[in-house]
Amino acid sequence: MAKNKSKAPKNSSQHPMEDFLRMDRMPHIWCPGCGLGTNLTAFTEAIKKAGIDFDKVAVVSGIGCTARVAGYVKVDSYHTTHGRAIPFATGIKLANRDLTTVVISGDGDLFAIGGNHLIHAARRNIDLTVICVNNFIYGMTGGQTAPTTPLKAYSSTAPFKNYEPPFNLVSLVTSSGATYVARWTSLHIRRMTDSIVEAVNNKGFSFIEIVSPCPTVFARKNKKGSGLDLLDHFGKRSVIDHSANPNDIPMDLENPIVCGVFVNKPKPSFWENVQTGIHGEVKKHRDYEKSLSQE
Amino acid sequence: MASHAKPAGSGTKRIKGKIIILEDRCKGCDFCVEHCPRDVLGISTQFNEKGYHPPEVINEENCTFCGLCERICPDFAIYITTEEEVEEVKPEVKKVYANRNKNLPIVKSTMKGEFFMQGDIACAEGAIAAGCRFFGGYPITPASEIAERMAYRLPMLDGVFIQFEDEIASMASIIGASFAGMKSFTATSGPGISLMTENIGLGMMMEAPCVVVNVQRGSPSTGLPTSWGQSDMMQAKWGSHGDYGSISLCPKSPQEIFDLTIRAFNLAEKYRLPVFIMTDAIVGHMTEKVVIPPVEEIEIFDRKYTNKSTDKYLPYEIGKSMIPDFAKAGDGYRYHTTGLTHDERGYPDMTEQCQKSVVTRLVEKITKNIDDIMMIEEIDIEGADVIVVCYGITARTVIPAIEKAKKKGIKVGYMRLITVWPFPEQRIKELSRKCAGFVVPELNLGQIALEVERCAFPDARTKGVTHAGGGIHDFNDIVKAIEEVAHGKK
Repeated sequence: MAKNKSKAPKNSSQHPMEDFLRMDRMPHIWCPGCGLGTNLTAFTEAIKKAGIDFDKVAVVSGIGCTARVAGYVKVDSYHTTHGRAIPFATGIKLANRDLTTVVISGDGDLFAIGGNHLIHAARRNIDLTVICVNNFIYGMTGGQTAPTTPLKAYSSTAPFKNYEPPFNLVSLVTSSGATYVARWTSLHIRRMTDSIVEAVNNKGFSFIEIVSPCPTVFARKNKKGSGLDLLDHFGKRSVIDHSANPNDIPMDLENPIVCGVFVNKPKPSFWENVQTGIHGEVKKHRDYEKSLSQE
Repeated sequence: MASHAKPAGSGTKRIKGKIIILEDRCKGCDFCVEHCPRDVLGISTQFNEKGYHPPEVINEENCTFCGLCERICPDFAIYITTEEEVEEVKPEVKKVYANRNKNLPIVKSTMKGEFFMQGDIACAEGAIAAGCRFFGGYPITPASEIAERMAYRLPMLDGVFIQFEDEIASMASIIGASFAGMKSFTATSGPGISLMTENIGLGMMMEAPCVVVNVQRGSPSTGLPTSWGQSDMMQAKWGSHGDYGSISLCPKSPQEIFDLTIRAFNLAEKYRLPVFIMTDAIVGHMTEKVVIPPVEEIEIFDRKYTNKSTDKYLPYEIGKSMIPDFAKAGDGYRYHTTGLTHDERGYPDMTEQCQKSVVTRLVEKITKNIDDIMMIEEIDIEGADVIVVCYGITARTVIPAIEKAKKKGIKVGYMRLITVWPFPEQRIKELSRKCAGFVVPELNLGQIALEVERCAFPDARTKGVTHAGGGIHDFNDIVKAIEEVAHGKK
């Protein structure tokens, strides 16, 4: 813990985040009032708080606004193809099990084009932490309907309102077998940070949904005001209930946003299962293989 | 982040601190002003250089240095310091890793000797001999045997086998494993390659060393799952969108699958790209003698790891070789890489110049090293009137045809492309000046024949002998084509 503990510099022109960000890429591309910078702060804070060496962290992302996180955080970072961050991260994690591998991506990337990878990684219980920033819309491409867009919300591809019911992310991930599931909004900075600490320490598939304001497209299309207004709106609507059943807390435009840690039940990860299961079996076959190679 | 000072008053000691606002970073979202629990901040009437109103401290005495403003700021524009922390010494961030770029330990393959072995199994054994310890795949006929063999072999070698939900994930995972320092590969057939092409492009752009085996079947679409073809040859070159150099190896026997799989890994490591092995269902399912030499006799090439310190390393810096040095995840280099067009730091760069330099290099690292990569087998080429250009399984069906044509008095040469890509343009051009023409038998409706025709001088005739797949050529058709080309000139 002490290792990464923050150090406020003597020279006051340096922000304490600077050692953990690629300052040569600042300012970032996110719009004024977007929650992504806050979420990124929470993530780096959490890595510091968890006492993990930044050299041993790999961040993988897909495509979209959130996926640009990988480009700003100063760790081994991989900005991959749309929806494929989870299998890419699976490859990294299994090839070097010492790395804390975190996928940070958006709702469209993880649940639309990448939905299949997500549910299967949860089912296998790969030791990954997936942070899904849910802004209810495709931000980077200009505000099209996402699998999380609430019923009767407007988007660029739903000019007469959206009539597809959205996914309840925490419910989907819980039923797929994730061993740590939480939901927060960008306003729950400290709880979100603590939650990320728990998630990266969990040896299994961990999932955190962060409800985050998109001022430029979601708020504009839906007359929600500025990013600040949307954040306040989330603040007023959110309630914390750790005991809530993930199936009963869908996201919509009106009802409370139920936040909390809904699942925290560690189970052996994919690799632990493979190792313990295969160990004895392999010995038998190894002997057989040896007999093959002896002439 | 500053430590959280206790609130003022009520007997607790107040901690002194400072609020520092980096005004020019602010984008005016007002998150800090609105959410400060003690109304310390207000909105300034001044503009910053971006044209936003940054926050200003209006009630400094109320501040408890809780750090909420620092945490909620999306633009890293405000932070607090407290006195205790100012005294802390900043740890040295830049480190030098002398010997950390070593490969993960590799347990040597135990198999050696002569075997009666199926082509697909020979492929798996070749990969293991080359040092591959990661396989991510999805079942598909006729490539499943490779996955099955890897599932059996890798656990004994402390390797990783994982069967994914689809080929898209398989390809993504092997690129990830490659960046974590493991040699990795996947095996599939036409429909799987179509799914993989997205991430094959990613592998080309990120320059991830890995191997993709395509056991070709009759195509398009699901085509002939249990039967064969050679109709993915152009896909191996042009499959993913954009320009990139491709290396594709075409084995004709299980022994050659074994040998070329090792070579594919060596080329992938040397030139940093996904390398294709373009075999087909006949060769893949054929069982023949395969000799596996002792490990010491197998030549293995490993990617060049950087010897630079962490602060000097640039992931896409090019030396003389056009191939950037590699650093694996977890070694402290903390670099960024992306599928976007990127500069030598790995950062996105959307300029025309950068696009030109990246794409040109991706193509030229192969074309300029063609002499090192290209492998051709030639028999009776000198003085030949007709040259039969073949690859893969077709190289075996042409043998009786060439013999028959020779008996008829035609001088026939045999040219087998072991690497179809990069294509031996110069060699074809050279030969086309001396011969009457080329005959190109292949199990598709003329893919490589077009390539031969493109490279040959117009005087030399190119005749493709096409076959849609699912069977092999009647060798009389090839003889007929040889005769046509030979007599066309005379």
